This record gives sequence, C-alpha cells and structure tokens, in this order.
Amino acid sequence: MAKFNTNSNTYIIIYSVVMVVVVAVLLSVASLSLQSRQYENMLNEKKDQIVKALGENPAETPYDSIITEAVVFDAEGNVLTNDAAEVFEVMKDLKGAFEQGKYPAFKAATGVVLPLYGAGLWGPIWGYVALDTDMNTVKGIVLDHSGETPGLGAEITTAKHQAQYVGKSVFEGEELVGITLKKGGADKSNPHEVDAITGGTKTSDGVSAMILNSLNYYKPYFDAVRAAAAAKEVESNELNNENNEQ
Amino acid sequence: MSSKSLKYLTGPLSGNNPVIVQILGICSALAVTVQLKPAIVMGLSVMAVTAFSNLVMSLLRNGVPARIRIIVQLVVIAALVILVDQVLKAFVYDVSKQLSVYVGLIITNCIVMGRVEAFALGNKPWASFLDGIGNGLGYALILVIIAFFRELLGSGCLLGFRLIPESWYINEGGFYSNCGIMLFPPMALILVGCIIWAHRSFNKDLQEK
Repeated sequence: MAKFNTNSNTYIIIYSVVMVVVVAVLLSVASLSLQSRQYENMLNEKKDQIVKALGENPAETPYDSIITEAVVFDAEGNVLTNDAAEVFEVMKDLKGAFEQGKYPAFKAATGVVLPLYGAGLWGPIWGYVALDTDMNTVKGIVLDHSGETPGLGAEITTAKHQAQYVGKSVFEGEELVGITLKKGGADKSNPHEVDAITGGTKTSDGVSAMILNSLNYYKPYFDAVRAAAAAKEVESNELNNENNEQ
Repeated sequence: MSSKSLKYLTGPLSGNNPVIVQILGICSALAVTVQLKPAIVMGLSVMAVTAFSNLVMSLLRNGVPARIRIIVQLVVIAALVILVDQVLKAFVYDVSKQLSVYVGLIITNCIVMGRVEAFALGNKPWASFLDGIGNGLGYALILVIIAFFRELLGSGCLLGFRLIPESWYINEGGFYSNCGIMLFPPMALILVGCIIWAHRSFNKDLQEK
C-alpha cells in the first residue's frame, strides 16, 4: 500500500470534508428513517401518562377507552378544535402552544386531564394533572422531567411523591391557588400543600409554579364549568322549594 | 483468549483503573452515583461507547492526519453516541428515557477520549476493543461501589428497594435518620478519595515515593 503523506494540507482538508459528509449523511439517514417510530413512541407515552393521571393503569384501560374527547381551548375558554389528531399535533410542542394561547385538554367521564409545563432546576419539567368533575379536586398527577438530578429533583417522578397530590384541591373559594410543595414538610390538614423533595428545593419550587401557571390558562374553562354546576344546584334547590311549597 | 488479551480486560479493573489510578471520568462519577440504577446504566453505556470508539479509531488509525486527530476522535465519538441514542429512542424507548440525562455526559467523558488517544491510535482493532471494554468495566465498578454507599446511607434503599425499615426513622417514631450529605456530589468525591486510599494501601507499587 502506498504511503500517503498524512500531514499535507491537501490531505487534511480532503479528509475533513469526506469525514463531515459521511457523518452528516449517516446521521441524517438514521434520523429520517427512525423519526416516525420515535414519534409513535412519544405519542404512546403521552397517552399512557394521561391515563395514569386519572389513576388508571394504561395496560388495562387504554387511552381510547377512557378519554371521551380531546380539545384545544383558547385563552377565553372557547373550543378551537376537538379533532384528536390536531390536539396531539398541538401537544408536540406544549411550550410553544401555551405561548400561542392554545391550551389542550382531555375530557373523561370522571374528570378532565390537563397538561402542565414549566422549568425545573436543569431543564424543562412537564406532566399531567387530572381534576374531578368539580374542577377542584385532584384525581391524580403525573410528573416528568428531562434532566433533574437522580435521587434529588428527579424524585418528582416517583409514585410515592405523586400519591400525595390525590384528594388535594386547587381552588380556595373562587381563587385558583394550585398546589404548593412545602419545604420542611406540608401541613397535612392544608388541602393545597404537599411535601417538597429533600435536596430538590429548586425543582420543587418549579413544580409549584408549573401547576399554578399551567392551570391558570384553563381558568375560563373552570369558571364556566363551576358556574354551570352552581346554576344547576340553584335550579334544583328552587325546584325543591317549589315542591315543598305545594 | 490469550493471556495478553485477558490483561487488556482485567488491567483496568484494579492496577490501571481509569477512575482511581488514571483519575479520569471523576465528573460523571459525582453526577450519577446518588442511586445504584443510574450508575449501572451509565457504566454499561460508557463501556459500549469506549469499546466501539476504540474499535473505529483503531481501524482508522493509519489514515488519520496527526494534526487533526483530536477533532476526528470527537466527531467519531459524538456520531456514535447520537446514532445509539436515535436507535434506542426508536426501538427501546424506556431505556432511552433512562439514559436521557447521561447521553451528553458520555460524549464528554474523559475516559472515552483518553483511551482513544492513549491506546487505540497505536494498537490493533481487537486489542483496542478489549481495552475499551476493560476500561468501561473498571469505570462501572467504581461507580457501583460509590453508588452502593450513597444510596444505602443516603436514602436507606438499594436499587429502589427499601432496606432500612420505615419504622426506624425518627419522624415515624424510631431512632434513625438518613445521612443527608450522601445525596450531594461532594460526598462522592470524598468516597472516591477513600477508595483511592484503600486501594493504594493494598497496592504498594502504586504509591508515589
């Protein structure tokens, strides 16, 4: 084999160009050919997390059997679309969707599941919270993250942490207060507090802020549902009164 | 397997360990050892990457221009890691979620480039591949030892299973409390120091005069 002068400038330039082109082609082919599979995996994960937020097991109760309607709200609580494919298209980039004023929601017979998005210590955190039909009681929550520290901030993904949220409420009277992760341990009787993560204070603060900010986007929808429920109650009370008078 | 090949595999476990003798890869040893499971996953991933980057660079070693060899190494390592990440995301999504944080750390792990530069550029492919596996194992071994102590003393669990019963804890009316500092990176550095101390007192030839 002829020996090249591997230190000549021409050789180095040709070598770099060929190397960059080969690597670029390799990575593009891999990325393009695997994209659809990766997207499907991500979609399935989202659906599983939505089911988990409602406190069901996705293996037994698949997404399609429990979610009756997926919608996107605008800032006033009007429905922009209720086509499932379009809703998941919006879910692809939740951060961008929130900024553009598009707020996805997943309705079930037993409540509604809302996506959450916020900032942890090292990167984004997100999740889903399921509220009961009264738009106040938490049925369950799923939290996820991309880069929180294992054993510290990443503990928000554990079942033990997420179980604390069940039964808490996000409204104090008419005011939306969300749920706060309390450093040093929550007051068990306070319906808006859960324990923060030891050694994960920044992540815990991020989760508190994420819950309040994300739920605030859905305030018009909550108000509409709560007003309708209250009106119904008044109506049935009036009906009862009339019946009593007769 | 010849005794020479075996030496490539077993040398880095103790006498030429990348973490406690070559003092490489300390940064990631601090970051991923709070729990045993991520430590094991990270150890195995680094092993795969060092083995294959050593193999590729050893195959290319005669054509690589010496003046840009570090850049070539970086491109090969980064391309390998991205490729593996893409494949994992498509076929074993759960594993890729586990790895998500560490993929970036693998590229920057000094052991990978250290072995390519120190070994693969001057040795045949098979020897380089074994050297990569050996160094990956040596790294994983130290990670597992550190993570064992940090998880056991810091959270009372191993691999997520509770070993110290809940009823022992002070807030449940017991007498025990977790050692909080174990959860923080400085403790990992202190543990690395203790391991180096113990290791050198058993291996007199490693002690500096």
